[in-house]
Amino acid sequence: MSNTVKLKIKRYNPDLDTKPYWKTYDVNITSESTVLSALEDIKAHQDGSLTFRRSCRHSICGSCAMMVNRRNTLVCTKPLQEALVESGGFFGTKGVITIEPLPYLPIIKDLVVDRSVFWEQYQDMRPWLIPDANAQPQKEYRMSQAEVDAMQQAETCIMCGACYSACPIIAGNKYYPGPHALLKLFMRVMDPRDSVPDERLEQVANENGAFRCHKVVNCIDACPKGLNPALAIATLAKLALRTGKIKEERAERLAELIDSAKSAEIDIPYNPHPNAPVNRV
Amino acid sequence: MTEIIHEILIVGAGLAGSWAALAASQSGVKDIGVLSKIHPLRSHSGAAQGGIAAALNNVRPVPNTGNRGPLEQVPEGDDLVDSPDLHMFDTIKGSDWLGDQDKIRVLVDDAIDILYEYEHMGCVFSRTADGRINQRRFGGHSAPRANFAADWTGHVLLHTVHEQCLKNGVKFYSEWYLLDLIIEDNITRGIIAMDILTGELHTIRAKAVMFGTGGYGRAWKITSNATANTGDGVAIAYRAGVPLMDMEFVQFHPTGIYRHGILMSEACRGEGGYLTNANGDRFMENYAPSMMEIAPRDLVSRSEQTEINEGRGVMDDGQAVYLDMRHLGREKIMSRLPQVREIAMNFLGVDIINEPAPIQPTAHYSMGGIPTTVDGQVIRDANDTPVTGFYAAGECACVSVHGANRLGTNSLLEASVFGRRTGYEMARFVDNGAPLYPIMGNPCEIQQKRIEKLLAHHSNSKGENVVSLGDELKTTMTEKCGIFRSDELLTEALATVKELQDRVQHATIMDKSSRFNTDLLGALEAQNVINFSEVVVAGALARTESRGAHTRTDYATRNDDDWLKHTLAHKTNDGMSLFYKDVNIDWETFPPQERKY
Repeated sequence: MSNTVKLKIKRYNPDLDTKPYWKTYDVNITSESTVLSALEDIKAHQDGSLTFRRSCRHSICGSCAMMVNRRNTLVCTKPLQEALVESGGFFGTKGVITIEPLPYLPIIKDLVVDRSVFWEQYQDMRPWLIPDANAQPQKEYRMSQAEVDAMQQAETCIMCGACYSACPIIAGNKYYPGPHALLKLFMRVMDPRDSVPDERLEQVANENGAFRCHKVVNCIDACPKGLNPALAIATLAKLALRTGKIKEERAERLAELIDSAKSAEIDIPYNPHPNAPVNRV
Repeated sequence: MTEIIHEILIVGAGLAGSWAALAASQSGVKDIGVLSKIHPLRSHSGAAQGGIAAALNNVRPVPNTGNRGPLEQVPEGDDLVDSPDLHMFDTIKGSDWLGDQDKIRVLVDDAIDILYEYEHMGCVFSRTADGRINQRRFGGHSAPRANFAADWTGHVLLHTVHEQCLKNGVKFYSEWYLLDLIIEDNITRGIIAMDILTGELHTIRAKAVMFGTGGYGRAWKITSNATANTGDGVAIAYRAGVPLMDMEFVQFHPTGIYRHGILMSEACRGEGGYLTNANGDRFMENYAPSMMEIAPRDLVSRSEQTEINEGRGVMDDGQAVYLDMRHLGREKIMSRLPQVREIAMNFLGVDIINEPAPIQPTAHYSMGGIPTTVDGQVIRDANDTPVTGFYAAGECACVSVHGANRLGTNSLLEASVFGRRTGYEMARFVDNGAPLYPIMGNPCEIQQKRIEKLLAHHSNSKGENVVSLGDELKTTMTEKCGIFRSDELLTEALATVKELQDRVQHATIMDKSSRFNTDLLGALEAQNVINFSEVVVAGALARTESRGAHTRTDYATRNDDDWLKHTLAHKTNDGMSLFYKDVNIDWETFPPQERKY
């Protein structure tokens, strides 16, 4: 077995290049190699201009999310051997590992993307706790481990952006806050210490908020921490329907419909096959 | 080049820096800038796993079950088992009596308060059955006082404080790199920083400048530290004429992943994990019969290395021992140590539920750093003369509360407590009418030249690659300034470091562009690492005793008569000079004792 492996990396320096291009490198592979160590190896010994972010090396800082073999992941914990096995598929060549920056985000240089909008969306969700100032206990708030577990999904998110840039809604809708931001909002909605869950739900109870999620669930597939943003968003949507405002609107709308149906004296047509599958166009 | 002005400027957005920003903003300071070379939420505080110390008295050992037995929650109204005094004694003993006792007093007295503040700000801690913050055992602590959120405690603390900073309108400069600190006539005037995105240099002036730039663990080959932990603040303060204190004290964590050095939390042992050698023996019996695996880190790392050196290591090269958690059971591992399990699977292919994990000591924490008071005020000599307007907290600072060896969970506490105190102190300093001092000339010039030199195309072939120089340094530090040190090894190390300081002057890099140049960044970081390493080695060479994490094979015992004192290293025109400062000791209450566990 050969002990080198080919890495095909998307390169782009907007100051120098007119468009992104692919460049292939050979690196040594050992049983300990990760995709990150391969990138470090190239940077140190072949091409110092290869640019990427990294810091903690064990999937807690969230710096090094990239697209490896067309799937978003953290390169620090991705064994090179595994990436080699997974290479190929529709868009690749077996035995050549492809590495690209996270999609749907502006490229700063090579594998470094601009996450500024991503962070703004996170901040727009007001991720900080808004407690009831009059109810602050002398010691800690009492909370059950079950309540903590409910928040765990959001609490352990490392804000790497892997879910965000795998989300087809993000690709096409600049008003959608994204799975990362909604996950943080979910955490504070579930937080028994938070005093404004209704306000928070109202913020996303609209066509560009929690209801915009199409349940493509790419986010679940992409999350390197095994979290489930889709479930959190679905829960937010469900809870949002129960908030006072939505209830009122729906009640009003329903009343209108009933009124208009009455006045038009519409006959409901007879359906001979009530259980037939719906014909989707 | 542009000039930016803030009332308070903080470098580093980990727990210390973020706490300082938060506390200053709570005190009414409006104009606070925080600069970080990585996004604030990527700071290495977030990698802390096991817990944060405070004697909350929520949990206690089941009576008569010993140091490694089960825990139970303390019934309300029952006698308290833990106290700040006990926490203080453990910390002093852990420090091998090199920690300043008046400062440790402040640390433990602020601990309980800051824990509740974290909780009130929205931090998600693990809970006891009756809904209080849960606690576990940790090395060197005589009571279960490590307050935790599973094994991602640092992560939730960092996120909580960062959220509060955003709420209070703190201005963050993400991905800006600190190049220089400007102190003239003992008055701090500002810093020089590079916007990594554009490569442009900027002068940032402020009435108060604080460093919360983190530790210097990247000087070692096997390290648990993030690639960002290159001791930039420490090196730059030293260059600006600020002394460095106790730099020879570097903690090696007992449980780094074999060959990678990545951390497996001390919580593994706190929850009951065993350390075993090639014979399957729990070897800690021979080194710390009472505390066993939860003895302090210096002692456990030394014991592991002794087992390895004496041929009882595991794996092909015998350079590891086993961390065995199989007896804890799936449920406990999944609820208490999920991240550790994930790390072991990723890097070792080992599921700790079914198999022991091979581990080895790994460079972990920097006890030394920039000397400060308990309010973060940086001092310039043994008489505590302040450097006006310059502050530091967290791992880059040396208060000193950890002395010769830090106890686990005291670092998150230290960064929080002294970060917050520094924030309050800077707010007082600004409120009392501190003026904004001018900077003379073009302060960027020196740094501009330093960068141009690295970017210039070298026609001579002498230009070595900076990365390989950095690697050479790390190998030297690991082999010659690691767990076991001696006159011979340290003398060799010092010669290598000095030689590298010369060679790095002529080194070159490959990326010559200005946009997001991480090659340049790596070179600047390598220069910093090579510069401060001299202080580490020289301090270790001079200190002819064994104390805490500093172990000399040629001076195997602690020597209180000659060495119960802090090392201070000053940069002078003729190179480095060492002088010393007394340790603050309450001779009546906590006089030095033999350190046994």
